[in-house]
Amino acid sequence: MSSLAEKYRPKKYAEMLGQEKAVIELKIFLKEFPKKKALLLYGPPGTGKTTLALVAALENEAEIFELNSSDLRNRAKLEEILKPASLQTSLFKKNKILLVDEVDGVTGTDIGGIPELIRIIEKSSHPVIITGNDVWQTKLAPLRPLCKMVEMKSLTTDAVAYHLKKIADKENIAENPHFLRQVALKSQGDLRAALNDFQAYSIDKDSLIINQDKRHREDSIFNILKLLFQERQDFLELFDTTDMSLDEILLWIEENIPREYQNEALHKAYGALSNADVHRGRIYRQQHWRFLIYQNIFQSAGIAYAKDRPKQGFTKYERPKRILKIWLNNQKSAKKKTIAQKYARLVHCSIKRVMRDFELLKPIMQKPEVQSQLRLEQDEVEFLKR
Amino acid sequence: MTQTDIWTERYRPGTFEEVVGQQEIVKRVKSLVQAMNIPHLLFAGPAGTGKSTLALIVVKQLFGENWKQNYIELNASDERGIEVVRQKVKDFARTKALGNVPFKVIFLDEADALTREAQQALRRTMENYTNTCRFIMSCNYSSKIIDPIQSRCVVFRFRLLEKKDIASVIKRIAEKEKLKLSDDVFETLYESSEGDCRRAINLLQATASISLDINAEMINIIASSSKPTNVKVVLDYALAGDFPSAREKLLDVMLKDSVSGTDIVKAIQKEIWLLNIEPELKVKLTEKTGEIEFRMVEGSDEFVQLQSLLASFVLAGKLNKL
Repeated sequence: MSSLAEKYRPKKYAEMLGQEKAVIELKIFLKEFPKKKALLLYGPPGTGKTTLALVAALENEAEIFELNSSDLRNRAKLEEILKPASLQTSLFKKNKILLVDEVDGVTGTDIGGIPELIRIIEKSSHPVIITGNDVWQTKLAPLRPLCKMVEMKSLTTDAVAYHLKKIADKENIAENPHFLRQVALKSQGDLRAALNDFQAYSIDKDSLIINQDKRHREDSIFNILKLLFQERQDFLELFDTTDMSLDEILLWIEENIPREYQNEALHKAYGALSNADVHRGRIYRQQHWRFLIYQNIFQSAGIAYAKDRPKQGFTKYERPKRILKIWLNNQKSAKKKTIAQKYARLVHCSIKRVMRDFELLKPIMQKPEVQSQLRLEQDEVEFLKR
Repeated sequence: MTQTDIWTERYRPGTFEEVVGQQEIVKRVKSLVQAMNIPHLLFAGPAGTGKSTLALIVVKQLFGENWKQNYIELNASDERGIEVVRQKVKDFARTKALGNVPFKVIFLDEADALTREAQQALRRTMENYTNTCRFIMSCNYSSKIIDPIQSRCVVFRFRLLEKKDIASVIKRIAEKEKLKLSDDVFETLYESSEGDCRRAINLLQATASISLDINAEMINIIASSSKPTNVKVVLDYALAGDFPSAREKLLDVMLKDSVSGTDIVKAIQKEIWLLNIEPELKVKLTEKTGEIEFRMVEGSDEFVQLQSLLASFVLAGKLNKL
């Protein structure tokens, strides 16, 4: 039997459940094309990103030209396929939409993929729709300004449950609302996952609660952290179960140690993490990849054995906040930096030092004479008033 | 030159005679300049002791009116990567010097911010343009400058300015700016600037923006309010066992006040001896602090390392109570 997710994939805008806002944004994008050449739909899995692109094609009687990350291997391939497609008009239909699915799946081996994609977007005479989960990675930074960014949010549990109910009715399956709700809850807003679960578990309902599958990447990192912080084992192969890099896992551990460990254990755990980090640094500086082994041991066994005995209980782990904070702060301090640049040039010292002494220099830079000598812009003057 | 209202610039010495302190160095550099030919120079010493000032005087004496055409200033801690430095040096060195001096001068400030690799590359650049360019480099620690560069330069070591030096600078400014200073101001300015003349002048001007009648207390208020969030707060949280708050504050200090990890670790090292804990613990914590500083210098992640250090303070806080 075909998958329910495929069978009930929406075909009209009106069927796009809970994503009304994204639909409007998409319509605006197509209407205004080529004001922006590309649309970047981003959001967690199963929120309907690909579906929305396909629906757009159907509604506009356009031919869709689809590429997913496995096609996007390298520049040569991309050029070969995408370039003629973007320049020609379709043989059979007037309209054409280029779909680049799962753009964040483009990895280091797809050398040149992103820059080539950017060139294609710039040249394309057809709208390009791009989808992705994690679009804030640095490698996608050059892509973002070219695109109209539209977020597709996780569906609410109610919305998922409602949708399941409708499909259950169409399939003539009588399900009790409690079961549907549980499936919806477990899916965490991923409609595709919910439909797959629904299909699987409607045969064997008891398995739903027991089965702890790793549907999401984050699910699996949460499990890893739970094992690491609560059990006392070597765990040397623990990280093989995730596709996250050791460095990324290190950030997760760093964020969550104080949620599980106190005092002695806290101290030992950060000691181990510090050792892991030292080896991480050496790998980068000396390109000596064998040090990975040490990093792995320190951040697995080192963390697990930081405590004297196994622990129990539920701890709410959180995503690493540091990177976001750094980013937010950089946004805020951009103005401060332009002022510091002007000041530094005038007084023969480094921008870094001016940034550090900024509070002390502020009263000096607030003098109107100094401001005109620095040639400050109006917004910079405003910044100094705060 | 246009007049400026920034005192560190307005009162920057413009001739050898005006320079305060560093008498030996000034004498020797002056005689080099009088011969109208200088070797590459390396000025090593703490911040605010006159390195940039002396470099500027050298070029003004050498080139007179034309000094701006024959001089560029690059700051190694701001210029990202050696490529930028090389390109700028190249563009600058391509044309001949104006006037009767056969070379131009490049002032490379904070040269110790360059990595060893970048310094190696710089060494070749220095060689390639040796006919048309002279380098004046400044650094805090000459040990961070690779030997091949040091051996191509005449090295001058700048000492911290003495109390009387700072006082004479302050007195001159006070006269010109019509400030009324109480007697204890000099002592306080010296203390809170730690011999850094630039900082002392900035402190004076920041205080003068509030009142022209200045006493020590006002200086202290300005100095402490403009100081980045004290690491003491971070350590207090850690010693009290509140790691999450300590960590939060630490990140604040690093991000909002743009204090680098190495500066924080230095501040922590100083703070340890002022803490109210057992002396043995102070030794232990200092040992750990030294190790953390080493790891950071070696290139580890500053925030991870500092958290590890804070965890030691949490433990010390616990042991101290027992």
